[in-house]
Amino acid sequence: MGKSKEKAFKVVTILVVVAILVCALWIMGNHLGLVNGYDFGAGAYYYADIPGFENIEKEGVYRTKVPYWAHVVLFLCWGWLMYRLWVWIDKRK
Amino acid sequence: MEKNKTVPAFWGKEDWQAVWIGFIVILLACIAVLTKAFDFSAVKFSTWAVGEAAATKAVPLATQLGEWAFWRKLIVTVVVLCVLFTLGVKLQGESVKKYIPAFLGLFVIALIVRFVSAEFTLNRYLEWAFWALLIGLLISNTVGVPDWLKPAIKTEFYIKTGLVIMGFSVLFSNIAKFGLYGLGIAWIVTPIVIIFMWWLGTKVLKIDNKPLVITLASATSVCGTSAAIATGAASGAKKDDLSIAISISIIFTILMMVFEPMIIKAVGMSQLMGGALIGGTVDSTGAVVLAGNALGPEAEQAAVLVKSIQNILIGFIAFFVAVFFATRVEKNSEKKVGAGEIWKRFPKFIIGFFVASLVASFLIQPIFGGDQVSAINKVLDQYKNWAFVLAFTSIGLDTNFKELAKNMQGGKVLWLYIVGQVFNIALTLFAVWFLLSGVVFDVPVLDLFK
Repeated sequence: MGKSKEKAFKVVTILVVVAILVCALWIMGNHLGLVNGYDFGAGAYYYADIPGFENIEKEGVYRTKVPYWAHVVLFLCWGWLMYRLWVWIDKRK
Repeated sequence: MEKNKTVPAFWGKEDWQAVWIGFIVILLACIAVLTKAFDFSAVKFSTWAVGEAAATKAVPLATQLGEWAFWRKLIVTVVVLCVLFTLGVKLQGESVKKYIPAFLGLFVIALIVRFVSAEFTLNRYLEWAFWALLIGLLISNTVGVPDWLKPAIKTEFYIKTGLVIMGFSVLFSNIAKFGLYGLGIAWIVTPIVIIFMWWLGTKVLKIDNKPLVITLASATSVCGTSAAIATGAASGAKKDDLSIAISISIIFTILMMVFEPMIIKAVGMSQLMGGALIGGTVDSTGAVVLAGNALGPEAEQAAVLVKSIQNILIGFIAFFVAVFFATRVEKNSEKKVGAGEIWKRFPKFIIGFFVASLVASFLIQPIFGGDQVSAINKVLDQYKNWAFVLAFTSIGLDTNFKELAKNMQGGKVLWLYIVGQVFNIALTLFAVWFLLSGVVFDVPVLDLFK
């Protein structure tokens, strides 16, 4: 990358960072995206951090005829296939 | 050092210590909840507020501090964590006399972090991980870290222990919650995004810090902070790598939580498709619920279903990352790495994470039921959070701003996240359209009145 391109890249990156931070602060300052009945926000990063998550996630909301073991087999097959793909891509120069 | 050699690896090595310390905490929580013989809950600040926000569910600080339960839980938390970690440090051959006061000092800073991050607005948008890093950084870059506090700065020890405890909350039954639709959206897309970001980061942007690339890729495609912590530990990421990945993920999550539902509404996408898209792309689970809720009840459920599947991916992704780094990244020659060497390099706490998850999924849940598992996880969640707050405060205390800025690699890391997230959204959108639009398959029906 030439020096002028490098400089432009840096300037654009700094502008993007500033825009993102201003936007995030604006959202926080105006309490956007929150729901009155819920005692949590984006800060609850994991499901176990959400108070009353068991009431939010309704059990059995979807019923499938596909057996549980079929999900597990597909899950493992796809995982293995993707791992092989990852290794293959990493080996390529 | 000589003393350490006499201690078997299972008791003396940090990786294995994280496993048995995690299991002791899990066992105590199970006994406490299932027998109701004692209260093992760790301390937690309820949301507090100043000014207008006090009209919400916030609990006045004076009320919280005035309750005996708060102080009892605080004592339980300090004693349990101090005893277990001190035992680990002793078996590592280090000085207990130096560690105990240092741990108590670190715990006080961690307590301040949790107090600050419980404030209404800060709690709603930024995770405690962010405040732990910030407060730690402020201390280390202003007054400096006193020597007596340094023996307690054991980032990896706390993270690994927290992850083993977290393993109990990863329930395999979630895999079939949304049938093949959910599996298709969550599991087909996630590894493709990780591989894409790996290729982009290491081959195109030429970022030589591979643990940082994989940590950021997992945070983007799986579920933000928790995935970053797990893969960061599995790949041997440095403290700065974790700080950068989590900070980027947290800030962008705020934006995505607000703007993604707006855009989905504007283009007229159905609630089911919009919810599934949110579940597959927004990082934090809390943000997923809120963004889904903004579209409607069906979207909220679809978002939660997809996110639930993503949450169980954490362990598998961390496992594959550990194997990949042991076999490909850390090797010194082109020779194939033997099983013995892989085992030596493999981070053992991942085994603890999986065993905890298997015990919860196939032993505790079938015998005692989902409600009891939820109750146990409520207790464990706070211990996990305390372990992570100690870890992130340690990271902040051990980092300086210059190093952090240098690790951003002139902005390449930010662009890796942005391009990776755009790819994630595009691919998830395609998967959602393919599976849920009704063009190719029947549209699934969610029973919202369960």
